[in-house]
Amino acid sequence: MWLRRLPTDRIAKRYPPDALVIAAPVKGALGLSAVNDAAVALGLRVGMPLADARAMHPKLAVADADERADFALLEAIAEWCDRYTPLVGLDPPDGLTLDISGCAHLFGGEAALAHDLMRRLERQGLQARVAVADTVGGAWGVARFSPALPPPERGRSASETSRVGVIPSGDERNVLATLPLAALRLPAETIEALSQVGLKRIGDVLDRPRAPLAARFGAEFVRRLDQALGREDEPITPRLPIPAAITEQRFAEPIALERDVLGTIEKLAAKLCALLERRGEGARLLQAALFRTDGKVFRIEVGLSEPLREAARIRHLFADRLGVIGDEVDPGFGYDMLRLAALVTERSEPAQTGLAQPDHAAELAHLIDRLGARFGLRRVTRFVAQDTHIPEFAVMAVGGTVSAHARASGHPVLGSGSPLSRGRAAVEQDSLIPTRPIRLLARPEPVEAIAEVPDGPPVRFRWRHVLHEVAHVEGPERIAMEWWRDEAGYTLMRDYFRVESREGLRVWLFRGWLTDAERPTRWFLHGMFA
Amino acid sequence: MLPADMEQLSRLRRAIAKSEALPEEVRPLAFGVAEIDAALGGGLSRAALHELSATALQLGAAAGFALTLAALASEQAKQTLWIATDFGTLETGALYGPGLDQIGLPTERLLVVRVARPVDALFAAEEALKCRALSAVVAEVNGEADLTATRRLGLAAREGGALGLLLRHKVSDAPSAAFTRWQVAAAPSVPDGFGGLGPTAFHLSLTRNRRGPCGDWTLTWNHHERTFSALSVSVAAAPADGPDREALSA
Repeated sequence: MWLRRLPTDRIAKRYPPDALVIAAPVKGALGLSAVNDAAVALGLRVGMPLADARAMHPKLAVADADERADFALLEAIAEWCDRYTPLVGLDPPDGLTLDISGCAHLFGGEAALAHDLMRRLERQGLQARVAVADTVGGAWGVARFSPALPPPERGRSASETSRVGVIPSGDERNVLATLPLAALRLPAETIEALSQVGLKRIGDVLDRPRAPLAARFGAEFVRRLDQALGREDEPITPRLPIPAAITEQRFAEPIALERDVLGTIEKLAAKLCALLERRGEGARLLQAALFRTDGKVFRIEVGLSEPLREAARIRHLFADRLGVIGDEVDPGFGYDMLRLAALVTERSEPAQTGLAQPDHAAELAHLIDRLGARFGLRRVTRFVAQDTHIPEFAVMAVGGTVSAHARASGHPVLGSGSPLSRGRAAVEQDSLIPTRPIRLLARPEPVEAIAEVPDGPPVRFRWRHVLHEVAHVEGPERIAMEWWRDEAGYTLMRDYFRVESREGLRVWLFRGWLTDAERPTRWFLHGMFA
Repeated sequence: MLPADMEQLSRLRRAIAKSEALPEEVRPLAFGVAEIDAALGGGLSRAALHELSATALQLGAAAGFALTLAALASEQAKQTLWIATDFGTLETGALYGPGLDQIGLPTERLLVVRVARPVDALFAAEEALKCRALSAVVAEVNGEADLTATRRLGLAAREGGALGLLLRHKVSDAPSAAFTRWQVAAAPSVPDGFGGLGPTAFHLSLTRNRRGPCGDWTLTWNHHERTFSALSVSVAAAPADGPDREALSA
């Protein structure tokens, strides 16, 4: 699909001037980077210096080029095209590639799909030329260069049929033969070189021996030719990951109520789950795409802690998610299509559940999913011990999912022994009080502390403007930072003290210094005991 | 008041008491300290909401007390959920795994969820309390938990059977539907023979108790055995500190 006047259409949607050109700096001067049909009729061409164009037509409407806005529009159109097929590839600056194999029949055939696409784009004020072919290269060339598709001019209605080209399967060769070589997606230099030797149309090169062509014009030339003719496979790079399973529902009348949306999601989820069950899989990441009638698409994703295939739960999760992002999803005039896709799936065997006992694991997984749907799965965490003695790194928060924990720690979650308490902590537990605080500040906070002897424990310290007298202290426990963590080449040393104030406040203080000695030591508060 | 009215009133009272009563089969969480358990009617009710509050300086102690309660309530095959807010984490630090293990709550039975807004903490707490796979739910909140919110949480706890703990980062007298309210502070520990730090000690004020009297206690927590023991008991409303401390340091 070629959006032939994308930059001007973007602006003309808002201001419909007669002739519009887009100017962009070319080699230090402003040149025309895009023109609309009215401007073409005035004799303006892309590449012409802006000054010349102004001289010819002083009243010409000029807009600055904005490639990012153009690209954003292209993306928005691609997003909207998602209603036809999940496999939409971007072909910047002004093209889209849709793989419609297997879904054209849903719209009444390839030609009907192309017409539908075109008609809807036209209504949005976008001019497009659509070609359907067996190969990406063939469709590209026909959409842009086929004389059978004359560029329509505003006002004068070229019938829509003339702008949709459907190449019958196996007919690429004949259709392409009539097109200029530029239809092969070749760099300008190659086309130039080819035209110098009198080769202008694709038909001129089709029957020539390949080896000399490749030798003279490069392997790229032959590859493009092969791609257009289908001798070489050319995959479409999809904009979005292709889901593992998809279900969708179209509505004759747009729906807008959240209740209806959720009801539809549940219905689709039931279908999706049946599909996944046959494969012995469960969904780990679900996405609901809501296609609004005006072309906007909302995508709502829900991650799951365990492979899931239960429609009612899926509905709950989306209800939670919608509850959070409610304001961002504005139904406007309603949605005319809803798609539920399992983006990531995982093997999941049906587990046998006891009849007598409540299924705690499943209930917990559901809770984690619901919290995850609302706050993001990354915010639901567990602790996993790490093999380091640096307090900050001794524990890592991993995703709250049961399986993530088991994977990270190598221990079953509901087992008897704790990986933390079995390790180093267990050795230190013969103390009367815990040796590690229950809360650790993300950054140690500087405190003013006074010690009686240079390397001794503190006798009083001021933290957050409050002065505390030390009643009891245990320490020091010396912890050297791992040398590779310090880029300056010095190792930071810390002497930790467990300190109890007169009032009973128990905190973890340390004195830090660098091994190169001369620097002054400083005191920090790192954590709080119970 | 007419006898008929009295009759009506007492019937209503019974109905309310019945609807607010806890399920019979749930065993309360005993402290193992006779005076407290007596005041609480056997111990802290599970399947109910309890409030802990502390001044800013004592938040470490309050979190510690919540952890000890969660450790007491902890059961095999059930988990504890801790709900923290971003602000609270910045202010008082995040829970630290090795320390939790040492105080007696195994980290493999602990889930932490961090939410951005305090209202989210209430939502998470309500959802979590309804879940029967949890033994305790601790939510760190400020003043957001009002009467309605605490009542909802209480009902959710009754449904799910978990011990619900609301950890307020501020001491407040705002009305609340919690079963009990505690004010927690760290108490000076009794040092060991060598002058080192003694076992963790809490000063607890029970300021509201639906089942019985209030009181002040100082307890120590044995993190090996996971038991409380009394350091001092004051039957009457205790003075803020002073006498206790001197008695200890003597």
